[in-house]
Amino acid sequence: MLLPMPLPASALRFRREHPTAWDWQVAVAGTIVLGIVAAITAVILGLKSFSVYSAWLLPALCGGAFVILALVRNYLPRKGDWVGIFAITAAFTAFFFLLHDYLTRTAGGPLAGFDNSFDWLNVGNFGLRVGFFVDPIALVMLAVVTTVALMVNIYSTGYMHGEARYGWFFAVLSLFAAAMMTLVLADNFLLMYVCWELVGVCSFLLIGFYIERRSAVEAAKKAFVTTRAGDVGFLIGIILFWRATGTFDVQTIITAAVNHTNGLSGGYLTVATLFLFLGAMGKSAQVPFQVWLPDAMEGPTPVSALIHAATMVVAGIYLVARTLPIFEAAQGATTVVLIIGVVTALMAALIAIVQTDLKKVIAYSTISNLGFMMAALGAGALTGAMFHLMTHAFFKALLFLGAGSVIHATGTQEMPEMGGLAPKMKITFITFLVAGLANAGIPPLAGFWSKDEVLKSVFDHQNAIYLVLLLLWVLLSGIYTLRMIILTFFGRPRVRHIYNHAHESPPSMLLPLIALGLLSIAAGWVAFEGIGKALGFPGGIGRFVIPFGAEGEVLSINGGLAVGATIAGLLGFFVAGYYWWGLGERAARVAAHFPDLYDLLRHKFYFDEMYQAIIDRVVLGFGRVISWFDRQVVNDTGVDGSADITGFTGYELKLSETGKIPNYALAIAGGVVVLAIIAFATQGVV
Amino acid sequence: MIPLQQVLVLSALLFSLGVYGVLARRNAVLILMSVELMLNAVNINFIAFAVYLAPDKVVGLVFAIFVIVVAAAEAGLALAIILRVYRNERTANVDEVDLLKW
Repeated sequence: MLLPMPLPASALRFRREHPTAWDWQVAVAGTIVLGIVAAITAVILGLKSFSVYSAWLLPALCGGAFVILALVRNYLPRKGDWVGIFAITAAFTAFFFLLHDYLTRTAGGPLAGFDNSFDWLNVGNFGLRVGFFVDPIALVMLAVVTTVALMVNIYSTGYMHGEARYGWFFAVLSLFAAAMMTLVLADNFLLMYVCWELVGVCSFLLIGFYIERRSAVEAAKKAFVTTRAGDVGFLIGIILFWRATGTFDVQTIITAAVNHTNGLSGGYLTVATLFLFLGAMGKSAQVPFQVWLPDAMEGPTPVSALIHAATMVVAGIYLVARTLPIFEAAQGATTVVLIIGVVTALMAALIAIVQTDLKKVIAYSTISNLGFMMAALGAGALTGAMFHLMTHAFFKALLFLGAGSVIHATGTQEMPEMGGLAPKMKITFITFLVAGLANAGIPPLAGFWSKDEVLKSVFDHQNAIYLVLLLLWVLLSGIYTLRMIILTFFGRPRVRHIYNHAHESPPSMLLPLIALGLLSIAAGWVAFEGIGKALGFPGGIGRFVIPFGAEGEVLSINGGLAVGATIAGLLGFFVAGYYWWGLGERAARVAAHFPDLYDLLRHKFYFDEMYQAIIDRVVLGFGRVISWFDRQVVNDTGVDGSADITGFTGYELKLSETGKIPNYALAIAGGVVVLAIIAFATQGVV
Repeated sequence: MIPLQQVLVLSALLFSLGVYGVLARRNAVLILMSVELMLNAVNINFIAFAVYLAPDKVVGLVFAIFVIVVAAAEAGLALAIILRVYRNERTANVDEVDLLKW
């Protein structure tokens, strides 16, 4: 397979050094071929009425891939990774046909949703339905999920090469893609909840992929239990809504909540909505549930990119976005969302500034951006939040995959051991820089447009204090982003042998980086009317993702705000450069100047310690009480006690068995006398 | 004729003596004799009712004959059991035969 071909120097060197590594050729060429096959298949499907009602096909493809991989992956060549890639490529292609059909159906009219559901279970007058609902929010989410999942699948062929249980990795990736797509397409809460838990399970399996590592297993458990705590709230919220309206259908509940029918008003609605928000908080790592996401970095980096940057963590954002009319109808719910979002954004950004682990910085950046999206939703900016969700997915996944490239090359995740890697890993460096600039919101990259849209909505509709806090957040984002880039790619290498061994990654890892890099640059341009219309949309994203009951609008830029946000980002860059350039002595001196603050940030605001204390005292203490009750009352008194009473009674009563005939005869005679007395007493002497 | 109540009182007295014998005697054969006494007292009761209350019917007399036959059969069986117990336990004292004690 070593055909002579023109390639960049790094790829040629890679082929020379790894003469038997034919993975990139299969991954690249095979994917393209399979993608073309999938596209042709999809076109054929398109000719045969592939419509919005066939949306179920997208998750079904990935679900089928999971079933195949779970059962027979060890008998397939290359452990079946091409099955997963084929499925996600087919889903990716089918998505475009879905989008085309949706735009055709809604051309020139209101952007309605299309529902396709069937009865799954009917017991008396309680029914469960399985349904798929396609509307602009779902389409944006599908775009994100299919794109990032495709990039991660291709990337994993390079990153996970040679790992144990390579095939299982792709199996769970396919299952996750299927579950996530069903989640965003679900039209009723119960199906959404099932998929919610399913993506949590996939996250658990993938975080704990390295089963030999104790820390990974603990992190997986922590992630699942923390999100589970939020999911209980979600379930309670679903049940509260079902109790009031008698249905699980999302659109019906939204209509009922907006019109305040079925008893969905006042305190009941607010409480139910806040329970629903608990689920979103758990999944999207809002304060106080954010503790699981940094630990989730124990998983392989493609997992971090897919699940903990672009898709699963935005399930909470999606839930709030989907049910935003309910939040706006409930009193005070949006304020709660806004405050929690802002707190999360600022807190995580502060923690990110002092982290030394490269992936942890990006993880806290993710939490911070999730807080920003939640704050956007709390401010009522549905368009801005979904727009930022999309752009953030692309550049955050790119940051993670780039970090994975660096980790793959250097073998370490700690930034103090890196430094000066830019000349050795040019493509990684360039794409990482692009993603970092997008993260900080520098025009004309994607992050700028989405951030500005959110800031404008907050400025128009909310208190000035929130705007100030969010601008502070932009500043902090700039600081930690450039700090991360400087410490990794610039300066003098801190550990010589790591620098000497660093090399550029194989093309199977570089191609997704480049693709996501292009998306990070261009994805923000859908804000423009012209580009939107050229792509076939009714306009820019402002005319596509429309809040309930509002008119689509052209996204306009508030010039002053845009300039202000950009200046804040560049100021952050300046601060980062001033303190961390070179050997970073200035930063170390500042840290020594404020030891308490530095400790507070290094210990992540002591959330983990607080939770451990709660677990030790409250949970385990309560467990001790229950255990005492179980041992003392239930076992000793209840079970052993009743056995002892039976034994004691028998021991005493057996003494009446004398074995002597006269005793028994006396008993008979006595019984007759008693019966006679009773007979005479009740009937009288005859 | 003697009033019916006096015959019944006689029957009751004989029955009570029989009950006392069953309960208070130590020898198994004597207990058997007391059982026979009880059966005979019952027979007197049957005959008394038959003669005094339904003289033209033979129901009471036939039942009395039944009782005599059953008593005879039962006496034979009981004596056989007493003989077996005596052969095994070397005693006819029912107080000492307590093999079914707990």
